[in-house]
Amino acid sequence: MTARFPLDGVRVADFTWVGAGPFLTKPLADHGADVIKVESRTRTDPIRSMAPFRDGRPGVNRSGYFANRNSSKRSICLDLKTARGKDLALELIAQSDIVASNFTPGTMDRLGLGYKEALAVRPDVIYLEMPMQGNAGPHRDFRGYGLTIAAAGGLLGLTGHPDRPPVGTGTNYPDHVPNPLHAAVAVLAALRRRRRTGESQYIELAQLESTTNVIGPALLAAAAGAGVHRAANEDAAAAPHGVYPCQGEDRWCAVTVFTDDQWQALVKVLGNPAWAADPTYATAAGRHTARKELDEHLAGATVAHQAAELANTLCAAGVAAAAVSDAAQVLADEQLNARDHWKALDHPEMGRSVYDNIPYRLSATPGRLRGPAPVLGADTRDVCLNLLGLAPDEYEHLAAEGVVG
Amino acid sequence: MTATVTALPLDDIRVIDLSNGLGTYTGRLFADLGADVIKIEPPSGAPERTTPPLTPQGTSVFFAFTEAGKRSITLDGTATEQAEQLERLLDTAHILLTSEGPSRLHQRGIHPEDVTRRHPGLIHVSVSPYGLTGPWADRPACDLTLLAAGGLLALAGEADLPPVRAWGNQTSIIAGLHAATAALMAVLALEETGQGQIVDVSAQEAVAHSLENAVQYVDLENTVRRRAGSGPREAGTGLFACLDGWIYLVGGLGGLPLAWDAITQWLESGGLKDAADLRDPRWQQRDWRRSDEGVQTFRDLFERFAAPRTKQDLYEDGQRRGISIAPVSTPSDLLASPQLAGRAFFRQIAVGDEVLTFPGSPYRFERLDVAPGRFPAWPGIDTRAVMDALPEAADTASGSQGVAP
Repeated sequence: MTARFPLDGVRVADFTWVGAGPFLTKPLADHGADVIKVESRTRTDPIRSMAPFRDGRPGVNRSGYFANRNSSKRSICLDLKTARGKDLALELIAQSDIVASNFTPGTMDRLGLGYKEALAVRPDVIYLEMPMQGNAGPHRDFRGYGLTIAAAGGLLGLTGHPDRPPVGTGTNYPDHVPNPLHAAVAVLAALRRRRRTGESQYIELAQLESTTNVIGPALLAAAAGAGVHRAANEDAAAAPHGVYPCQGEDRWCAVTVFTDDQWQALVKVLGNPAWAADPTYATAAGRHTARKELDEHLAGATVAHQAAELANTLCAAGVAAAAVSDAAQVLADEQLNARDHWKALDHPEMGRSVYDNIPYRLSATPGRLRGPAPVLGADTRDVCLNLLGLAPDEYEHLAAEGVVG
Repeated sequence: MTATVTALPLDDIRVIDLSNGLGTYTGRLFADLGADVIKIEPPSGAPERTTPPLTPQGTSVFFAFTEAGKRSITLDGTATEQAEQLERLLDTAHILLTSEGPSRLHQRGIHPEDVTRRHPGLIHVSVSPYGLTGPWADRPACDLTLLAAGGLLALAGEADLPPVRAWGNQTSIIAGLHAATAALMAVLALEETGQGQIVDVSAQEAVAHSLENAVQYVDLENTVRRRAGSGPREAGTGLFACLDGWIYLVGGLGGLPLAWDAITQWLESGGLKDAADLRDPRWQQRDWRRSDEGVQTFRDLFERFAAPRTKQDLYEDGQRRGISIAPVSTPSDLLASPQLAGRAFFRQIAVGDEVLTFPGSPYRFERLDVAPGRFPAWPGIDTRAVMDALPEAADTASGSQGVAP
């Protein structure tokens, strides 16, 4: 018998799509929840059409961007614009503990699948929506994506070199970290409360509000009159603290020194170069004041080293350091592989392909990537017949009309 | 209102928070949701209390942000006496939160295997730089080196400059969010079975889980993504300078020109010379929009249009025309945001002698006051209240049961 999952018996009616929502329901699915992804054949999830694709050939069942966010889930296709399609969705909600969506405000209401309708069929439902700006407010109907939310939410503007335009993380960071994971925390906390009270819960996660929390300390500082600005890789007190060039093309090592002991260890690893004897560098305050010239000295010294070897030597000497790994290097990374961070799953159209494993382990009730991302509509028939109570001939009839399938 | 109606999601959950900066956001999330989070500080105070940047009164804005809503206690007496006090506290707790590597936890007598053996009903949430296992488990680390080792750093920055880190100790947010998600699943299991467990969260893995599609690009298309400044190079999309900063515009994405007509009309209505050029059919071609000439031609046009306009004007005007545009907000812009102000998002919380402005919680629970709480003004402010309420040592000797009845 396999170990039980912490979310065994929990069902999620998953109306989320694109970036943020699916990364919320993924950890639930990987820990045992029956996540049923409600999709449309005519308006497919845009991320199914986003690169990369297996062998570079586009197709709704070939995107790695989609696949990695949708492991362990089932997919059904319903035409929610039809009365029967909507009824089936409501029946799914009636049999679900959690309903999640990340459409623009009012969309679920217009579809007849809003919180009120959900409550009518499932009085203890946990119902989460993830509007960009919130369900109310003067900018309620403003639209956006992960990139624009990073800009509006403040992270983009604070990230980069002070004398250059800001750069941000180079990713749709709000879609990968704050918005899906804050949402996961919220629905799990609500589930815990429901077990004690039996009560339903409506949760609104405004993506702008969620994302501003990742720069929360900057808001405190600004309101108190203490400016916070782009500072590249500098730390407010420690130096050296940056990335330094190493042997090879575009290879770098991150090196950080917080204490005098670490400074002395770094100097020793570098072979006691003459410049390091400058007494200015003997104290943290001196190093921080002289950090620009220190960076230049250090860059001149690290370039003779191979990045991973330098990081190994520095870490062994007690100095926090790491080679700057690109995606190919993290895939081959010794530590990540020792922890089975990458997981190859067999997908019907994509073949064997790489997924992120769960970045944590629960010792007694561990999760597991239970299956690859579902092919579009793979589970429609099974769910309609075995969960939503359709008779086979009724299903065939609705399939012929394009309501299901 | 009855107590049931106002019960917070994590009422009656007790967390003993022994974390440092890496794990502390997890406790903050739990505190907002109603858990009793007790931070144990050394009598001299956690070193993070004075980590810059500081408010005018000398409080670390990072510490203020992450500790709001927690209680603070200090332990006294000999090391043995302190260890006994910790054991008594753990007898009353559901969760222990730590964020150091395995050797250090062993030294402190709080390795998760030992803790959960002594307290079978306790969840030990161990956030650590590289996880509890593997060859790098005890490497020294910090935010910058973990972003490097997890692959996020390599995606950020201008191609002609070193990779650059996201502002604000994001590894603490990334790892902290995964840890909170995992901890809540363990709480659900605990309250069902009475069984505690170890939750082993690797910050490196959590970062590697945040690389968007970069790993899948390597796996499926044998392509290694490189840092590319503030976003994709395509006419109509990216960062554009305006009167008081920058805006982020998404006018073309994934090969689809979004709202191109609306952008064209907008520029024309502003009387911009040559705006009509955007009606040329070549702008419908992805190859042209991605050409250096296409990118530069659009940039010149748009920045001439934007030069006399503020980001807030461009944001509101563009959005009303259905264009995906966002301001690159500074923290001060966010504090003045009509949307956030209109939704009463910010909270005023006393931190020592100052009243600081906090962003509200990342989510809103209907009917419940989920929000950041009181800040522990000094180390040990709650020692008496917490320790006096502990059961006598004799009572706990009969067995250590972490689960509250």
